[in-house]
Amino acid sequence: MAYRWGMAVDLDRCTGCQACVTACRSENNIPTAGEQQASRGRAIHWIRVERYFEGEFPNVRVKYRPVLCQQCDAAPCEPVCPTYASSHNEDGLNAQIYNRCIGTRYCANACPYNTRFFDFFNPSWEKPLHLQLNPDVSVREVGVMEKCTFCVQRINAAKVTARGEDRTVKDGEIQPACAQSCPSKAIVFGDLNDPDSEVSRLAESPRGHKLLDDLGTRPKITYLEGR
Amino acid sequence: MDRRSFIKLTAITGTSAALASCGSPENTVIRFVPDDEMAPGLAEWKPSVCPLCNSGCGLNVRVMQADVETTRDGTRGVVQRAVAKKLEGLPTHPVNQGGLCARGQAAIQLTYHPDRLAQPLKRSGQRGEGKFEPMTWEAAVAELVGKLDALAAAGNQKGLTIIGDGRRSQRASLFDQFVAKFGGTLSVRHEVFGDAVLRRANGMSFGVEQLPTYDLKHTRSAINFGGDILGTWNSPVAHANAYGAMRRGRPGVRGAYFHVESRVTTSGAGADEWVGITPGTEGVLALAIAHVMLEEKLLPAVSGRATALIDGWASGLADYEPARAEKITGVGAARIAHIARQLAEQSPSVALVGGPALAYSNGLFTALAVNALNQLFGTVQKPGGIAFTPQGVTADSRPSRSTLAAFASAVAGGTQPAGVLLLDGGNPVFASSKAWRVREAIEKFPYIVSFGSFIDETSALADLILPDHSFLESWVDALPESGSLVPVVSVAGPVMKPLFDTRASEDVLLDVARTLAKPVDFPWRTFDEMLKATIDLHGEDAWSTAQSHGGWWPETSQGEAASGQPPTARGAASVTPPSPSAGDAGRFIDPVLAGDADVYPYQLLPYPSLQFLDGSLAHLPWLQELPDPITSAMWSSWVEINPTTAESLGVSLGDVVEVASSLGAVRAPVFVNPGLSPTVIAMPVGQGHTNYTRYASGRGQNPIEILAPATVAGTDAFAWAATRVKVTRVSDPDGSLILFSARGELRERPYEGVTR
Repeated sequence: MAYRWGMAVDLDRCTGCQACVTACRSENNIPTAGEQQASRGRAIHWIRVERYFEGEFPNVRVKYRPVLCQQCDAAPCEPVCPTYASSHNEDGLNAQIYNRCIGTRYCANACPYNTRFFDFFNPSWEKPLHLQLNPDVSVREVGVMEKCTFCVQRINAAKVTARGEDRTVKDGEIQPACAQSCPSKAIVFGDLNDPDSEVSRLAESPRGHKLLDDLGTRPKITYLEGR
Repeated sequence: MDRRSFIKLTAITGTSAALASCGSPENTVIRFVPDDEMAPGLAEWKPSVCPLCNSGCGLNVRVMQADVETTRDGTRGVVQRAVAKKLEGLPTHPVNQGGLCARGQAAIQLTYHPDRLAQPLKRSGQRGEGKFEPMTWEAAVAELVGKLDALAAAGNQKGLTIIGDGRRSQRASLFDQFVAKFGGTLSVRHEVFGDAVLRRANGMSFGVEQLPTYDLKHTRSAINFGGDILGTWNSPVAHANAYGAMRRGRPGVRGAYFHVESRVTTSGAGADEWVGITPGTEGVLALAIAHVMLEEKLLPAVSGRATALIDGWASGLADYEPARAEKITGVGAARIAHIARQLAEQSPSVALVGGPALAYSNGLFTALAVNALNQLFGTVQKPGGIAFTPQGVTADSRPSRSTLAAFASAVAGGTQPAGVLLLDGGNPVFASSKAWRVREAIEKFPYIVSFGSFIDETSALADLILPDHSFLESWVDALPESGSLVPVVSVAGPVMKPLFDTRASEDVLLDVARTLAKPVDFPWRTFDEMLKATIDLHGEDAWSTAQSHGGWWPETSQGEAASGQPPTARGAASVTPPSPSAGDAGRFIDPVLAGDADVYPYQLLPYPSLQFLDGSLAHLPWLQELPDPITSAMWSSWVEINPTTAESLGVSLGDVVEVASSLGAVRAPVFVNPGLSPTVIAMPVGQGHTNYTRYASGRGQNPIEILAPATVAGTDAFAWAATRVKVTRVSDPDGSLILFSARGELRERPYEGVTR
């Protein structure tokens, strides 16, 4: 049976520490925009931790929510792409095929989660910073869209290993960079088609909900509320 | 073809392609690399140790082949070499258990930083001018040996000293021992946000002068008085792991969490109840909670040394009756009673304390009060309470150390001779109050040697720079003081070959020690021999196991150690005899703030930023571009102001203000923070470097400079939260506040007047 990759984020465990943000940057060769580009809103973070204030001093509450591509089943970014750069793959991921992308940015307009990023500049790494680049992930050039891939390179590597051993990928075998780094283990990744997987169990939790559920995008990420 | 017809055409062909592709696999969208041809890169994983803070987390380093540009015998070329690609947490390490914070992951950029020093340098211009010329290692070592020999020949051994960062490691111990054996003056280990107050209080309350580990994994309710335990303080990854388990790790049990502070931190964000408090009165709240518990007999009145240390404890803390505490702390009496009952009901409970709560003149009282609360909970060195990590290496053989303020005044006053100064991190010129006159004291030394890998405000004054290997290129160690229930010695060998003509500082120092006219005697020839000698004490195979595991620790897991036997203080850092009384620290005295309240109406809270801590990490571009968890700011400095206060000052988001103390002023844009007390002005520490690589220089402001030189009563610790300031509006937004959220997020309430 095909895989259907999904994620659960336990907001009761999340501390807003930004470890996932840095892990993603490191794993996926996300360029550093620098002060000038960042001030024009061009900094790229495939995953961000949103912060919400509630109340007034001294009765204040702060809530955090890590937001990344929700890998929707009914993804608004896909039908608007004139070149099929934004497309659904057989594992249910919203794939972004850089070679096809012509940079219309329709997908970014269509995405209600604001998780797609346009490359306004050619990335550069001041030497020898380029030595830290992950050879498993392509570097995106100016003029294309990029976004979270659920660390598809890690998924592919695990599938290659599993195929070599004539088995399917085991639950917990794949950890995207964000989930791996999380100090409080707030992020769980796995196969939603496997009813026994940890992520399937959490997706059924009464604490769970989908982000902007009413839009009908059918996201594959479940957020578990703390209280 | 114009744009419109192009899009029409692609839309039509696209639709037909989509329709045609339904059903038959040969018509589905082709990907560029078919699955069968996918060949993931081969990686090797090697253990290392994170060098960035005191936690001593274990690293799992992904090592792969890469083309490295290099110069060999004067010829430039490219060689294939194994290099580090990514840092992850080591899953088997007892401290971080696979997790790793944002800073730790960015540590890889220390190795690949474009401004890293690549060979020994000698000052060529005026001191501080920043002009250096390259020299050979042989000449550099000979020059240092010559200077030290000259000191010894003149009988001026006292003229040698060292200033370093506060990391607990055998590396630091080696440097200190060198200075002590040579006959030099006490070394200075400088941390702006040090923990001397809590160590002292723990010595008085529990007989253990050590930072505590909180066993949150087994806690049913916790109250935290200001310690940023999940972000920047103590051992954040270890405690975040335990916090996650406290919340959701036990079926049917969710630990309750209260957080008390005057500015919301990431650690306070997740609290069930966040309690804003008048800064400097945290100890009163702790004793008011104890008062309710004693009066309502919620807990048995077992209290260890609390009776001796806290005035009025034996008579039920009459002075801390909730109604009186409300007037001092600003926390309602009913709320105090409610918190006390919750904590008593859900046992085991634990109280945490740290951060600004201990950085006022009355910090020692606050720490003793919270310790007394823990004694009342009955969870000291019990599961779910406070633990002290047993120490794998007895650390009390280290020479005792001086403080930066004491060093500066001794050198200025002539009581400490200025001869040769060794610099091993800590950047004392940047990380000190102007009032201490640290730069002037350092400049009195005729010869300054830096072992750092970067030019910063302090090493810019050096006469000789002997750049260290990166931690990935050499032996690296840490002695975690907290964060684990079992003893841990983090040790690892190099994971890659050095990129540049650098040398391991420990080996350089041992080399110098041997070469001196009157050699300084060490039992080891190299640093790894020193590390091996310590680990060998733990058994025959310990060293080989340590090298493959990234350190030494007992075979039992964290969980077993916690639930099986209560952790003990065995082998702890040092044990102090019980003190009969705490003197003035036994009762609440209003915090003394530097500055006239009429002129300077606000309190300045400089806090360690999640990205840069005390500023030592501002040179890493990943951390510069990491959005701050409260403001989402990148590449910026800012001033946090409560909404009501901002209104009264007539300022809003992005407006530039001047924050002035009696020592000076800094200017930065405003961020309006509802999670901040109206009487407090908060600024992150870390930016404001004048000379610290291309990424940090000339960016933002450094609030440490304008802090008054106050100390916590009863200790020599720096009271960094005890300075009064005034705030004046300077101008409209100047665009220097760069917010990631300005891009537009899913927030319910978008920011107004966002600067772009």
